Amino acid sequence: MRVFFILLGKELRQFFLSPLAYVVLVLIMLVNGVGFYASISALTRTASSGSLVTWLFTTPWFYMSYFAVFPLITMRLISEESKLGTLETLLTAPVRTIQLILSKYLAAVVFYLVLWIPNLLNIWIFQYMSGGAAEIPKGPLLGSYLIFLLMGLFNIALGLFASALARNQIVAAILSFTLILLHFLLGMFAIYLSSQRVQSFAEIFTYFAAVDHIRLFTSGLLDTRPMVYYLSLSVFFLALTHQVLEFRRWKT
Amino acid sequence: MISVQHLTKRYAGRTAVDDLSFEVEKGEIVGFLGPNGAGKTTTMRVITSYLPATMGRVTVAGFDVFEKSIEARREIGYMPENVPLYEDMRVKEYLTFRAKLKGLSGRDARGRVGEVMDLCGVTDVRKKMIGALSKGYRQRVGLADALVHRPKLLILDEPTNGLDPNQIRQVRELIKHLGEQHTILLSTHILTEVEATCKRVIIIDKGKIKASDTPENLQNRLRTAGGIELEIKAHPDSATNLIKVLPGVRKVTSEELPEGWVHFTLRVDAGTDQRVELADLAAKNQWPLRELTRKVASLEDVFVEITNH
Repeated sequence: MRVFFILLGKELRQFFLSPLAYVVLVLIMLVNGVGFYASISALTRTASSGSLVTWLFTTPWFYMSYFAVFPLITMRLISEESKLGTLETLLTAPVRTIQLILSKYLAAVVFYLVLWIPNLLNIWIFQYMSGGAAEIPKGPLLGSYLIFLLMGLFNIALGLFASALARNQIVAAILSFTLILLHFLLGMFAIYLSSQRVQSFAEIFTYFAAVDHIRLFTSGLLDTRPMVYYLSLSVFFLALTHQVLEFRRWKT
Repeated sequence: MISVQHLTKRYAGRTAVDDLSFEVEKGEIVGFLGPNGAGKTTTMRVITSYLPATMGRVTVAGFDVFEKSIEARREIGYMPENVPLYEDMRVKEYLTFRAKLKGLSGRDARGRVGEVMDLCGVTDVRKKMIGALSKGYRQRVGLADALVHRPKLLILDEPTNGLDPNQIRQVRELIKHLGEQHTILLSTHILTEVEATCKRVIIIDKGKIKASDTPENLQNRLRTAGGIELEIKAHPDSATNLIKVLPGVRKVTSEELPEGWVHFTLRVDAGTDQRVELADLAAKNQWPLRELTRKVASLEDVFVEITNH
């Protein structure tokens, strides 16, 4: 356990002492801010069915940050270690592979959570400035944060896996971007299928549909199926990452 | 301290280490010598449990490196080839991280890091970024890392690789000094290095052990162990005939020099010395003599002889 916390400390230090972290933070703040402004101006123009929360997480601005953030967070995690050769110094010290993977994973998750602070601030400041006139629904907001935590857990595990596969950071980033996009498109496929009235197929695909999960949770409906889905997939990809690291040692 | 039994490591379609067996006793400094690609790094990586063996068994301080990997790793201080380090960490920060990772308590780590920084001569760069260090300093930071948890066994993969002559001398002195308290296994393809530091040499080539002995014994064991250089004024052919029949002489070559001098190079059997007989011969035949020297085979000769079949 001590080894895990020492590794976690090192990973967090590497996150918050690197310029990349702050570039990502600024980028996310910028995109979030523009998205926030766009949602509010859309709400003031015409009457609409959704709340501010639903609008906030369905703008193209939001999706831009959604696809960009995970590759940026995860790309260097393992690929940099294998390129520098420090994987060898780590794994010849009394460190288990699983401790190494989990410390990297948790550090990335912590950084991801920090990236959500500007969003929370946006909403808080808006509420404060409007003097309570603007109503922010508590349930949908909680649901939104929950689903983005779950999706974050899953996408970071996916990115970590990509980082273990590739020695080059850029390749790792492109690989995780592709995997995240593919997963997302799989859900879009469900929507297409249901429009074609192939219900039995469509139902299977809705289990994967990230868009659908976001829609449910941002309206305040906490469904356990996506929770189990994302958590189990996270564990699956972490296990896969472990296998890749072990297998690489067996092979070369 | 190390026991390697029938170690075989195969990569896809290639055997890097082939049925290797050797022991390293406590307190020994053993040099692992071989041409590039002989399997030195692979063997070290198996001993440090970075790579699993295809076949065979390796124990370090009594711990099987596969079954009791974590326990075995605690006993080893390993410096890999090319010394991988985090470029964006400061020297002291890095060593403290490594010390804690290898199980030292916070307070113990602080004191010990200061000690190894002094020992390896990196105290004056402790606040510098590792990425900004010269190769010599990087090497010494790597060595400090290997030492920091007071391991019983040091495994150093090409510790002087890429250093300038002054730095090589410094690192060698350091290794000799460390040898007083640690068991050391170091690899190199530089022969003078093992001659200077090691008490025993294991020569490996193509994954097999070709020789294992002290540097002195290896030199003595060499078949054409050495040579004698002789310079006289005489007729080359008749002198050659007289010299060739002396006991222990294997081969005589002559070279004519200006003013009637002839230079003879003799290959002689291991452990024999014909200088007295040659001096007698020159006196008897009234050959003017101006050089008579014995050349001892260097480890380099042994190395070339053993690895070039």
